[in-house]
Amino acid sequence: MVSAAGAGDDAPRAHPSRDVGLQPERTALAWQRTILSVTVGSLVCGATALRLDQPVIVVAAAAVAIAAMLPSVLRLPEGGLPSHGHLRSWRFLVRMVLLVSALGAVGTAAALVSMLQGDG
Amino acid sequence: MVDEHERPDAGGTPARDADPDTDGVPPAPEGPPGRQVPAWVDERRPRSVYGVGQEPDARFSLANERTALAWVRTGLSLVAGGIALTSFATFADLSAVLDVVAAIACVAGAGLSVWALVGWQRNEKALRLDRPLPSPRALPVLVVGVVAFGLGLGVYAVFSAW
Repeated sequence: MVSAAGAGDDAPRAHPSRDVGLQPERTALAWQRTILSVTVGSLVCGATALRLDQPVIVVAAAAVAIAAMLPSVLRLPEGGLPSHGHLRSWRFLVRMVLLVSALGAVGTAAALVSMLQGDG
Repeated sequence: MVDEHERPDAGGTPARDADPDTDGVPPAPEGPPGRQVPAWVDERRPRSVYGVGQEPDARFSLANERTALAWVRTGLSLVAGGIALTSFATFADLSAVLDVVAAIACVAGAGLSVWALVGWQRNEKALRLDRPLPSPRALPVLVVGVVAFGLGLGVYAVFSAW
């Protein structure tokens, strides 16, 4: 029962529609960690490309950073509980993997350019 | 444990109709009489995963999602390591060998993050079919790769110090 939480109520019941293991929250945090890491990684990549004087790579890295952050800025977090049966994480997972792969490609390009410049 | 609130409806089946008075939730507005309106049609993708088996406990699905995200981040840290290596190489004017290593790390990281999708599908399918979870095939590859990466860089450091 949802009571006024008296002193004798030593086992406060969580909200019935809330997972006591905080699984949705932990999952949301995992998403945030991942998005932040992609963003930081692409910014570091952009900084490296700036030193390499490669504006194309800079723009590509910035695009990855923006594409990672934009959805979480534009879209309010729904906070939808999994009990609603609307877990649609596949699209977001695919998008995240695409972003990481794009960052990998940009980083490879930066490494190759750096290699060529080192030789030249 | 999980009570009725936390259990997602099995895909497409109007589970509420069996007991419309659960928790005082009013039944969903029905269509014309005699016609069943499903509470929710499962359209989640990929259908190769969501089309089979039964809906598992949502907490297991969420844990699987976090596992996939952890794989994505592992791949991402490989990419970031490669980028950091390139960055240091530009600062310190290091040898081109490091740039090759950095490129390999970036490609491997991208591949590992793609593996996260495959692993997520395998695990979710096993969960839905109530089968034992498949073995994490990418784990030995990752360990061997990271060990080789570290050993190679260590050998390079020793030789460049001479």
